[in-house]
This record gives sequence, structure tokens and C-alpha cells, in this order.
Amino acid sequence: MVPIPSPRKDSNASPLGWLTRSSSNWLPPLLGTGGFLLLWQLFSMSGVIALPAPSSLFTEERTRTLIFYPFYDRGGLDKGLFWQTLASLSRVAQGYTLAALVGIAVGITIGLKPTINRAFDPLFQFLRMVAPLAWVPIALVLFQKNQPAAIFVIFITAIWPILINTAEGVRQIPQDYRNVALVLQMSSRRFFTKVLIPSALPYIFTGLRISIGLAWLAIIAAEIVMPGTLGIGFFIWDAYQQNYVGEIVLGVIWIGAIGLVLDRLMAALQNYISPGK
Amino acid sequence: MTSLVQVQEIEKNFPLSGGGNYLALQGIDLQIQKGEFISLIGHSGCGKSTLLNMIAGLDLPTAGTVLLDGETVKRPGPDKMVVFQNYSLLPWLTVRQNISLAVDEVMPAMSRQEREAVIDEHIAMVGLSHAVDKLPLQLSGGMRQRVAIARALAIKPKLLLLDEPFGALDALTRGNLQEKLMQICNEHQLTAVMVTHDVDEAVLLSDRIVMLTNGPGSKIGDILTVDIPRPRKRLEVVHHPSYYSLRSEIIYFLNRQKRVKQWQAKPHKTLARHGLEKVNLDLGFIPLAACAPLAVAEAKGFFSKHGLDEVQLVRETSWRGVTDGLVDTTLDAALMPSGMPTWMTAGGHGGPPLPIVTALTLSRNGNGITLATRIGQQGVSTVAEYRDYLLKTNRESHQLGIVHPASMHNLLLRYWLASNGIDPDHDVHLQTLPPAQMLADLKDGSIDGYCVGEPWNWRAEQEGHGFPIVGDLDIWSGHPGKVLGVREDWALSYPNTHIALTKALLEACRYCADPAHWSELSELLSDRRYLGMKQELIRFGNAGDGNSQESSPHSLFFGPAVNRPSRSEHLWILTQLARWSEIPFPRNYVEILERICAVSVYSTAARELGLDDVSYQRGGIELFDGVAFNADDPISYLNQLSIHKDFCVAEIPLKPARVMMT
Repeated sequence: MVPIPSPRKDSNASPLGWLTRSSSNWLPPLLGTGGFLLLWQLFSMSGVIALPAPSSLFTEERTRTLIFYPFYDRGGLDKGLFWQTLASLSRVAQGYTLAALVGIAVGITIGLKPTINRAFDPLFQFLRMVAPLAWVPIALVLFQKNQPAAIFVIFITAIWPILINTAEGVRQIPQDYRNVALVLQMSSRRFFTKVLIPSALPYIFTGLRISIGLAWLAIIAAEIVMPGTLGIGFFIWDAYQQNYVGEIVLGVIWIGAIGLVLDRLMAALQNYISPGK
Repeated sequence: MTSLVQVQEIEKNFPLSGGGNYLALQGIDLQIQKGEFISLIGHSGCGKSTLLNMIAGLDLPTAGTVLLDGETVKRPGPDKMVVFQNYSLLPWLTVRQNISLAVDEVMPAMSRQEREAVIDEHIAMVGLSHAVDKLPLQLSGGMRQRVAIARALAIKPKLLLLDEPFGALDALTRGNLQEKLMQICNEHQLTAVMVTHDVDEAVLLSDRIVMLTNGPGSKIGDILTVDIPRPRKRLEVVHHPSYYSLRSEIIYFLNRQKRVKQWQAKPHKTLARHGLEKVNLDLGFIPLAACAPLAVAEAKGFFSKHGLDEVQLVRETSWRGVTDGLVDTTLDAALMPSGMPTWMTAGGHGGPPLPIVTALTLSRNGNGITLATRIGQQGVSTVAEYRDYLLKTNRESHQLGIVHPASMHNLLLRYWLASNGIDPDHDVHLQTLPPAQMLADLKDGSIDGYCVGEPWNWRAEQEGHGFPIVGDLDIWSGHPGKVLGVREDWALSYPNTHIALTKALLEACRYCADPAHWSELSELLSDRRYLGMKQELIRFGNAGDGNSQESSPHSLFFGPAVNRPSRSEHLWILTQLARWSEIPFPRNYVEILERICAVSVYSTAARELGLDDVSYQRGGIELFDGVAFNADDPISYLNQLSIHKDFCVAEIPLKPARVMMT
């Protein structure tokens, strides 16, 4: 039998055809998320849980305003979610950049010098285990002010994965590459730029990616307990104090979404710089 | 010419994690000339890569020094560039960037254009101009290794070090790269050291091959010089006469190392039982019809009968394996050519003199001289015709095969040639070959003929590759063939075991001598454990199929005056070994003969078996030419023989007899 070219072949090339073919990619997550929201809606409406239903985020006045007008600014702390997020993100950016700089530098040092590594490893392992929230009071005592204290909490939370992964990356430089450098008597500068950094880069990025998530987690914790600061964390705390449960739910969804975007951005950057690793 | 590299008394210890040290290398001494290509070969874990790393400066010796151009190597550097087994290219740099990284680092004095030119030249040299901008991951293994070689050569090292450079490549790529490397080395007069485990690669590429023994404490076992002229072609070197002997030399060495390792791995306590000091024996032999008494003693249970419960027959491929086995005590006793006890006692094997004792002659006769069929086709059927043939074709080289310098084959063949006016050192060239190799060489025409024990003469005749020109019965009927040999210190340590072993083998000899058993013997020996060849090719008599009872016996295994070790025979052997300069004639020959011939062990064994040990005198020794041997004046006998090398007479310093150290 000779296969007859069917008209469906054209529809395969169209966007609709593509959607149909890739349905195994988008259908399960859509069903999963939709099902979850539907269950939530049902439980809320039947009164099994006290949380407001997802639909109420749009029906309720306060949350609808927040959703549709993220850029409003009524002065003081009463600002749209965009401004709240921006304030949080700028703190994260400062703390995270600092963590990345210090983490990579220290990571390379301890990766290259086993003695220094042995000297500080117990300390690092110990500090790594302290929860972000536990740092908040220490940070407040140290810096006396909210803003630097928040940045410090981000820094101290985000630094460990960067530091430990960088050190591991440096230690994992294959002996062959080290031998090449030794035989060629490479200068330290050239070894650093041509061998060490390219070789350790995948590890460094793994650390950076884990840390961005941690930093975002930490900022919420930090802001919640620092009254009077503009930011998404205090926004949630404030809503809780005033019993606006819908606003809390909205804030949580917003945080999750931002975290997801940050992680994807980092992954894209990692893929761009060291593809396939 | 001074050496470029001098490795002096290197020793390397590695600390073990559980405390203590692992001694990897010991006492390594090596001089490498400028322009030489050296291969390091040995089993895995023998420390060959460690040695290479120490020459490279990547690792430092625990003791001793490595000098490069007279300076101590203390750290790695571009003057001794290494090509690593796994290429070690930086995967984030392209081919060009990888090479330029090295060139920029090592040659900063050059201008940018000059460096570019060097890089381009070397990429072109390895034929990768089309792939300059590719990343290593986009290249095949062979191409990556070519980049690594180009990188190494681009920085003009004094010494090129290669660590199994072609180990991970397929055979075709490997072959091409070997030729490429050889060509580059020839053109640029490079000095190189290569670690390899590939025997053919070592022979093809090297000027000298350094063979390392197994660890711990690996040493240089031997250094082979490869005399194949350059430039070499991979497909042509195999036709060079030295190729296979070099190859088999290396393989012998590696096999020997493996065997020693296996021997060391198994527990070898001395088991004493039944009033014997040791009942677990390793007996060496090589596959010849003359090994029949050993095979029979094993198969018929004569060893166990005399209390030797755990005798193991160890099949060696050449007599050299037997010699080495006795030297390093991996063998307790061995079947050996009758010349070997005197030869080893006089230090003919190259080491310090090692007294070997024989208490039993296991066989007589059983040998013959075979010439190739192609020589028979030239009208040669007698020795006189062969002499004329040699005169006519004296421009060609004429090789004759022998199995061992100390075997009767060598001595009888030389005696026969010399008595017929052919100088065995000038008119022909005698080459030591394992018996199985001889037949192959006879077939492909690289040797004229050989003198060897059965079944190799009969087999050549049967298969049409050769014809017998003379049998041993016509040279010296009843000459000693194979004997039982043990170390003197072994004999002193285990005297009762020695007697039991002699008894078991003497009884086996009696069994072998009965023509009624010959068919059975042929069948037994055809087994893979012994000769591993067709039963029809193994015969013990002279006529017909050789195993009928009517045919006259060829090999003598038992009978009056057959088995008792004879001092005068060993003295005759001493004169012949000295005649051909295998050993000096020992001034203390009386002492040597006393220590070699364990007549009392034989007598005890024979008496205990109930055999008549009447004292007898073998007839005087007289070979086919009628020159009588006067055992009272061996030096005059030597002088009266017409053709001989310049022999010398010297005292052989023997250590006093003592028991084995354990």
C-alpha cells in the first residue's frame, strides 16, 4: 500500500499540531495544578479548612486590588506588591553578591590548601547548620539597624553552598589538568584563568543555584521579624497581624513564583556559561 | 657520548594508608643517550609509570637521583614533556588554544607571529589542520592523542615522555599513530621514553626495551637492544630476523614474571609426611618424548606410591624456564638436558655458579638431526653434500636450530659438524629456539635444519618439512639425553625426598622401557598436559609406527648402565662445553663432578627398589669418529680436537655445600 499524504500532515506543522504532539509535556502539570486548586476550592467552600478559596483572591476587594495594581504607592509601607518585591530583591541582590564574592574566594583558597581546609572545615560545617531565622537576632545585635542586618542574614545563609561547592570544584580538578599545568610550569595567573576557573565552574554554578533559593528563603524570614521594613516578608507578617488571610495566601503565591523565576534564571545562566554540565 | 638522562640507584616507597611502606621500585639504574627511544615494559603495578613520573619530575624518588643533562630533576618542566595516556587536553579549549596554551607559556620570548607559526607547523605535522577550531570532545580518541603529541612537540622538549600513549586506541589508529610518532622521532632526533604493555609496539618503536620485574621492589629485569635498522615500517619489521626472537624474549620475560607472581601468591609451606621432608614438589619439564618418565610417574601413581603425594608437573616452553625456575627456587626439581647440571654448576647460565645435582639419567638417545626438505631438493643427502652445499652458498646465512647451549643436541650437532669439517661457529650459525618454534622456522625456511629430541624430527619428516640426515645412534649411540636435576642445597635439605623422587622416576623409567607400553605412552603423552599433539607423531622405536614391539628401541629409558649418573660422561660434557666456550674448563673439575653426580642417591634408590645395583663400567666414551675420550686427561683430549673455539681453563669458585635458607 502506498501511503497517501493525508491533510493531517499540514495540521502537524501548525501550532495546534505542535501542542497536540507535545501534550505529554504540558498536560500532566496542568492537570496536577488544576486538580490541586480544585480540591482547595472544594475544601474551602465546604468549610473543612479555614483558608479562603482560591477564587476569593479575585472576589475579595483587598486582594483583587493587590493583584491588579502591583505598582500603586500610597506612601509609607502601603505599596503595591511590585515595590514590596523589589525591596526584598534588592536586599537579596546585595547579600547574595557579597556571599558569592566571599564564597568563591574562600572556596578556592580552601580548595587549593588542604591545611586551611582542615583548619576551618569544622567551623564551616557548624555554621552551615544554623537556620537563617537564628541569625536574625545576632544580626540585629551586631548591626543595630534593620537593613544591614537583613543583608547579613542573606549573606550568611547563602555563602555556604557557594563556598563548599567551589572548594569541591577546585579539589576535583582532574590530576591530568594539574599535571599539564605542572609540566608546562604555568604561572599561577594562567593556571587560575585557564584551568582552575573553567574546571571548577560547573561546581561553582551548582553552589550559586542552591544559594539563590536559600537567599530568597532567608529574606522572608529576616523581614518577618524586622518590623517596619518595606518587603514581601513584612507584608505577610503585617497581613497576619491584621488577619487578612487572603493577603497572606497571595503573598505566599507571589514568593513561590519569584523563587521559581530566580531559580530558572540561574539555571539558564549556568546552561549558557557551561553547557552540558 | 654522554647520557642525556641518568637514572641512578632509584628507589621509591609509597606510604600505605594502614601505616608502613610499599616499596615500588628498587635499585633502578638506566642511562639514556640522546636520540634514543626507550620503552618500559612490565606487568601492571610493576612501577613503570612511577619510573616515568620520576623522570618527568612529577614524582620524586625516595632515594637516588635522576639527572637530565647533568642536572638533578627536582620538579616537572617543559624540557621533559609528558604525553599522558588520557590525552589531558583541556576540554574548554580548542585544538589551537590547547597547543597555544603550552607554546605561549613556554616560549614567551618569541613574537606572536613566530608562536603562531610554531603552532600551525605542529598541527600540520600531526595532520589536524582541518580541526584546529574544534573542541577535544568533538574529536576521536586518536585525534585527541595527536593533539597531545603536537602539544608536546611544539614546545621542543629535550626529552619526550609517553605514558601508554596508544593504550586506549583501536588497533588501526594505533598502528597509524605509531608510524607517525616514529617518523617524527626520526626526523627530529627526539629522545623518548615510553611506557607500554604492548610487546609489538615496544619492538617496533624502541632502540632499547627495559623490562621491569614485578613489585614490590621492582627492578630492571633485563634490557633488550633492538637491532632492527631505521627507518622502520610496521609491516616490514616482522620480517626482520630479530623481530620474533625479541618478541619471544619479552613474552618469555613477562610470562616468567607472571609465573613467579602466581607462585608467590599461593602458599608454599613445606609439607613433610611419611618420613619425607617435603612431599609437595613442583617438577619442571618441557614437552618432549623424553618427558615420558615424569608423565608416567604422575599418571601411574609412582610419585604417590613413594610418598610424594603432591607432585605437580610444571610445563615450561623452553629450557630457559627450567633454569630460571631452579635459580629462583620456584621449581624443586626438573627434567633437564644432561649438560645442564655441569653448565649451571660452572655458571654458564650467567649468574653466580649454582651447583646442580643429578641422581638419575632419565633417558638416552632419542635425538636426531633434521635438514629442511628444500635442502634435500638441492641434492643434499649426506653430510659431505651438505658441506659442499654450504661452500657453494656461503654468501647466504645458514642457521641451524638447537634447543639449548647445554643440551646434548648442541654438543652432538657441533661435534658432528666439526668432525665433518664444518665449523659450527663460522660456516653455520647455531640459534637457540624452543622445539615448537623450530618446526615453524623449518617450514618458512628461516633455518636449514635442527638437532632436537623426538617427536620433532619424526614430525617434520611426517609433515614433509624435513628429512633426517643423521640419527643420534650414528653419532653416539647411548649418549645421555635427559637427567633429573635439583639444586645442591635442595638435595641437602630434603635427602629422603630426593631418594623417593629418584625411586619414583626410576620405576617410571622401567615402565617406559617396556615396548608393550609404548602405545599407551604415546596416548598418554598426546594429552594437552604434556605434548598436546597427535598420538601418531610420538613414537619410541625406530621402525614402522615406532610403537610395535618388533622395532628396535630408540630412546632408552631403563636398563644396565642406563640410569646411573656417570662422572665420565659429565666430564666429556664439560670438555665439550669448554670447547665451544660456553664455560671455561674448570680446573677444579674433579670437585665439580663429585658434587654433581649423586651416585649414592641413585644406589640407595635402586637398592630399595630391589634392582641389581651391581657395579659396572660403562664402555669408554667414543663417538662415531673413533676419537677415544681419556677421562684421566681431559685437557689433552680437548687440545687434540681439530675445530674448537679458544677455550680457557679457570677455577670455578663454588660455595661450600649447605642446606637451603628458608
